[in-house]
Amino acid sequence: MTDHNNTNDDADNGRVIGTPTGGDSETLVGPNADAHGEHQGPYPADETHVWPEEVQRRGEKVAALWFFVAFLAGVGFFVAYFYFHPNAQDEPSIADPATAQYANMAIGGTIALALFAIGAGMTVWVRQVMPHYEVAIPYDEFPSAPTEKASFGDFFMRGAHESGFIKRKLMRRTLLLAMAPLGLAPIVLLRDTGPLPGDKLHHTIWRKGMRMVVEGTDHEIREADLENEPGGMITALPKHDESDPEHAHGLSLNEQAKSVILLIRMPEDDFNPEMERLNWTHKGIVAYSKICTHVGCPAALYERTSHRILCPCHQSTFDAANGAEIVFGPAHRPLPQLPVTVDDEGFLVAGGDFSSAPGPTFWDAERGA
Amino acid sequence: MKWITARRRHPLAGYVVVILALVVFGVGYTFLAPTADRAEAQQDQAAPERSDGKIDLAQGKEIFAQSCASCHGKNAEGKRVGDTDVPSLIGVGGAAVDFQVSTGRMPSMNADKQMPRKYPAFTQDEIDDLVAFYEDEFGDDGPKVPEEDLVPATAPERNQFPSDHEGEKAFEKAKEEYDEAFASYTSNSDTEAGMKLYLTNCAHCHSWSGAGGALTDGRWAPELHEASPRQLYEAMLTGPGAMPVFNDATVSAEDKQNIIAYVNDLQEEPDAGGPFALGRVGQVAEGFIGWTIGISLIVACAIWITAKQRSHD
Amino acid sequence: MNANEPPKALRGVGNFIDDRFHLAKMGEKNLRKVFPTHWSFMLGEIALYSFIILLLSGVFLTLWFDPSMEHVTYDGSYQRLNGVGMSRAYESTLHLTFDVRGGLFMRQVHHWAALIFVASLVFHMLRVFFTGAFRKPREINWVIGATIFMLATIEGLFGYSLPDDLPSGMGLRILQGVMMSLPLVGTYVSMFLFGGEFPGDLIIPRLYSLHILVIPAVLLALIAAHFMILWHQKHTQYPGAKETEKKNIGAPMFPAFAVKAGGFFFFTFAIIAGLAAFVQINPIHLFGPFSPTSISAGTQPDWYMGFLEGSLRIFPNWFDVNIAGYAIPTAVLVPGLGIMGLVFTGPMVWPFIEAWITGDRRPHNVADRPRNAPTRTGLGVAAITFYGVLWLAGSNDILSHTFSISLYTTTYIFRVAVLVGPVLAFIIAKRICLGLQRRDRETLEHGYESGTIQQLPSGEFIEVHKESSENMVHVLQSKKPLPRIDVDATDENGVESPAKRSIMGRLREGLAHWYTKDNVSFDGVRPNSGHHLHHDGFEDAAEEHDRSETVRTP
Repeated sequence: MTDHNNTNDDADNGRVIGTPTGGDSETLVGPNADAHGEHQGPYPADETHVWPEEVQRRGEKVAALWFFVAFLAGVGFFVAYFYFHPNAQDEPSIADPATAQYANMAIGGTIALALFAIGAGMTVWVRQVMPHYEVAIPYDEFPSAPTEKASFGDFFMRGAHESGFIKRKLMRRTLLLAMAPLGLAPIVLLRDTGPLPGDKLHHTIWRKGMRMVVEGTDHEIREADLENEPGGMITALPKHDESDPEHAHGLSLNEQAKSVILLIRMPEDDFNPEMERLNWTHKGIVAYSKICTHVGCPAALYERTSHRILCPCHQSTFDAANGAEIVFGPAHRPLPQLPVTVDDEGFLVAGGDFSSAPGPTFWDAERGA
Repeated sequence: MKWITARRRHPLAGYVVVILALVVFGVGYTFLAPTADRAEAQQDQAAPERSDGKIDLAQGKEIFAQSCASCHGKNAEGKRVGDTDVPSLIGVGGAAVDFQVSTGRMPSMNADKQMPRKYPAFTQDEIDDLVAFYEDEFGDDGPKVPEEDLVPATAPERNQFPSDHEGEKAFEKAKEEYDEAFASYTSNSDTEAGMKLYLTNCAHCHSWSGAGGALTDGRWAPELHEASPRQLYEAMLTGPGAMPVFNDATVSAEDKQNIIAYVNDLQEEPDAGGPFALGRVGQVAEGFIGWTIGISLIVACAIWITAKQRSHD
Repeated sequence: MNANEPPKALRGVGNFIDDRFHLAKMGEKNLRKVFPTHWSFMLGEIALYSFIILLLSGVFLTLWFDPSMEHVTYDGSYQRLNGVGMSRAYESTLHLTFDVRGGLFMRQVHHWAALIFVASLVFHMLRVFFTGAFRKPREINWVIGATIFMLATIEGLFGYSLPDDLPSGMGLRILQGVMMSLPLVGTYVSMFLFGGEFPGDLIIPRLYSLHILVIPAVLLALIAAHFMILWHQKHTQYPGAKETEKKNIGAPMFPAFAVKAGGFFFFTFAIIAGLAAFVQINPIHLFGPFSPTSISAGTQPDWYMGFLEGSLRIFPNWFDVNIAGYAIPTAVLVPGLGIMGLVFTGPMVWPFIEAWITGDRRPHNVADRPRNAPTRTGLGVAAITFYGVLWLAGSNDILSHTFSISLYTTTYIFRVAVLVGPVLAFIIAKRICLGLQRRDRETLEHGYESGTIQQLPSGEFIEVHKESSENMVHVLQSKKPLPRIDVDATDENGVESPAKRSIMGRLREGLAHWYTKDNVSFDGVRPNSGHHLHHDGFEDAAEEHDRSETVRTP
């Protein structure tokens, strides 16, 4: 970009720089940055580079090639789409994951190629065919002139006085008063989005004597089932009463989310003798809520060698051998413990509800309700 | 050097240097880091000859004496080696022996560390001998190796057979039998039960895809991709390392079959979303790709569009 | 008859519109809008285009997706999950994936576009921050942009939660856990949002209406406002020979930039589509349906929520208190609300804080080179480091597993790094800026190093310095003295003004000192002169750059 003084040349070979353009010019660029710049007339550019005709012709060919590729890819998309079948009966069906991968690559790949080729064609168009120039437009001065501001202020206050909004205090205040309840109404209307917490969060469906079952198989667990050496673990739920119509399809997710426990067995000697609710364990079997007291992920990584329970989300770590006291991480309080005993037939049963509210720690989680 | 001097002020010079540095770094790392292939090649010794399936207690005894007794003691009572208490093997059961040796974790040179999965030092026949010797000598009250016709054992490998044509045939036959057993074992399972059990009791350590995950104190839960059904079964039965035990009373043999079938099906399923599955690591890898590949490619396009135009006259 | 008169059909349409709206003048003016030709000014466009792609693909997805939490047993085309219990939302997502051709592709387009959308917003904001393009008169547009970023993040989180797969439900659970930790009102907020206890059967339909209606509508309105303001105020521009505070230089909208921008839209879409076609993202059919009792190792949110996940992981419970048995879990409150608040509102207030510290009330159209505002640049790099450390901490289990570092060790490292890292980053970035300023002064004065070595008759070797080009001189001279509150803020009697004596006044002066103290002065440097000149001689050369030494407090 060194030469500055070409003359206008509407033949095929020149970059045209800084020259006047007639009405039938090929470019939008004018000679000088005159007053017309912002609103009309040619663009006020200092230098303009118009590609020689052969460059433009080459650019046109390359752009056309890209657009044609885009067209072919677009046609390819239709082929790909109708080649695959949406239902599981016809072959090749996208219900099969391997075929789904091919279908996704074919459908998506053709679209991606078509899009890219259009983009590339347009870029070649703008870079090889269009003239290149830079123009200048003035930035606006933002603050209005003082006279304009003053005029506006005067106008506005006249109107305000005329309306009486300033003088008629009673009217103004009662209007504001009238707005207040209406403004609050949308918030009140949200009241029925949910019940009040009450003491719901403090109780679960665990009752004294309720049996424990393996989650997923509903297999009732006997004391002898859990391995003592070297130490077993299983995720368990309360056994639901199938005759109860409410639980005909098993426990609801809400009930599961609160009542799920981690049932752990370790050698009895491994428990910390200081543990507060040692008598809630039974022959080395201890049950804790599986829901982390931090923000509610299932804390389930139990390491039988260190007796640690680790939450995989934020790594709160609890000591299963010591009432699930926190040994590391951000949790606020220990995992709630569930008392474990056996019934006459040797099945593990709960001795009551959790020691505190299960789930993420809330305001009054540790207060009895 | 003239060549460089002439070009070192080129606008692209900085990028070229960065790319070169990355390439050097990447290639260097590839050479330095031990790859699985080479680690395996080092282990891969001469192919054993015997494949008659008969149990040889004497052979088992010899293996025990040579490879186990030095740390675990002649009577498998465990002892102190260096700073480490090597555990006793009494009562751990044949399943634990089979698991540890067939996954290559034992024999181990470093008792302190968690052992990664390795190519096994012994053939399955030798391990069978060892297990038989162990149960004969030290009692069989621990968990037993599940029977082969119930749970398929390890897949046969080519180098377990003679290298001639006969061996090739025998290998193919064994492979076919194994695949059949495997298929029949994993079919007809209850996906719902398998999925529930896997997601509630396994996924929190081994991850939803079986890719494994971090535990405390530098331990980790290993990935499950290479494990055979029998090894998975034995792991649940014996609780290797920090893993808790899931015995047949809480998780029945059938439930274990469901779990194994679930995780195998999951792992064998092709990635419907595309050939680049990012190791099924999930959101961390996706974010990384979005920034590195996605944003950089788009910015590269923007640079192309807005690049200064040079005159070509 | 003018050769440039539009064809008859076009004139007809044009007249039809103009008869009703009087648009000829306004239309021409707007087609003349100038766009700076530098790639970094196209980052915001990536965000705009990915938002359009999100709208398009999102509408497609709504045709099949059913936001219901009704429990169903799957019996469909995808063999592996037959017989599995799940919600209707998850089932319809499976249907969309395995029974609708292009459904999986559109899902992946939607997810990749979301990641690219937020990433480009961040990238765009960084460009605006480091070049000072948020300064007067563009503060309001910056605040709008920061609000778009906040809403985009929330929009993404809600969208992530809709398919009701295992990780998506966990994201909701964490959201609910953070809400519950609010003293007094937490349980109420959670109960109202979820329509009862977690998970209930209302949250997905509720998030759905927020995700596809409310938030996109607000985003659309904000994006429109952002563009109208941009159009009215015009772009900033990098300094150069022609670029001044008065004139905006670039390619005009019509015809060149319209084609460039159109092409760029296709490029953005193509790369997102390419990712969606070949790189698997969020394979919900592999994860399995949500269950509140299950979790996977390595569970993560999408990247833009990573900083929140990280801060929840590394913030210890040392400051948790119980007041009369009532729990104040600061380990949830501080990271969950405090740090999130800082990340979202910090950028919004910064333009006003900076203007207050420097007392700079002038409008700016020419962008700062980052080195010429070393304290701001340092702060920006510190903020990136802070965010980045939290983000990395959000994947500490993956890092621990991948690089075999103890899990707790990574936590301790991140706890230290999140405090030390930003401070170090600030000091280093600022030093680099000052070093670059010094080099700039060198270059301005002596020209640039040509790489040619000459031997002088005396035998001495020197490197020949060449004169910087006119444009380079302008770029280098774009460095202005940093604005600074007048230190002698005294009244006419020479008494310290009361405003200055107040605590805020002293704080402000202290900050102003800290903000400007190390800056390298370019006073008296004459371009390509080879030596320092007196201050007076410099004045003329710099006149067109409307320097103003100090700004008086208003």
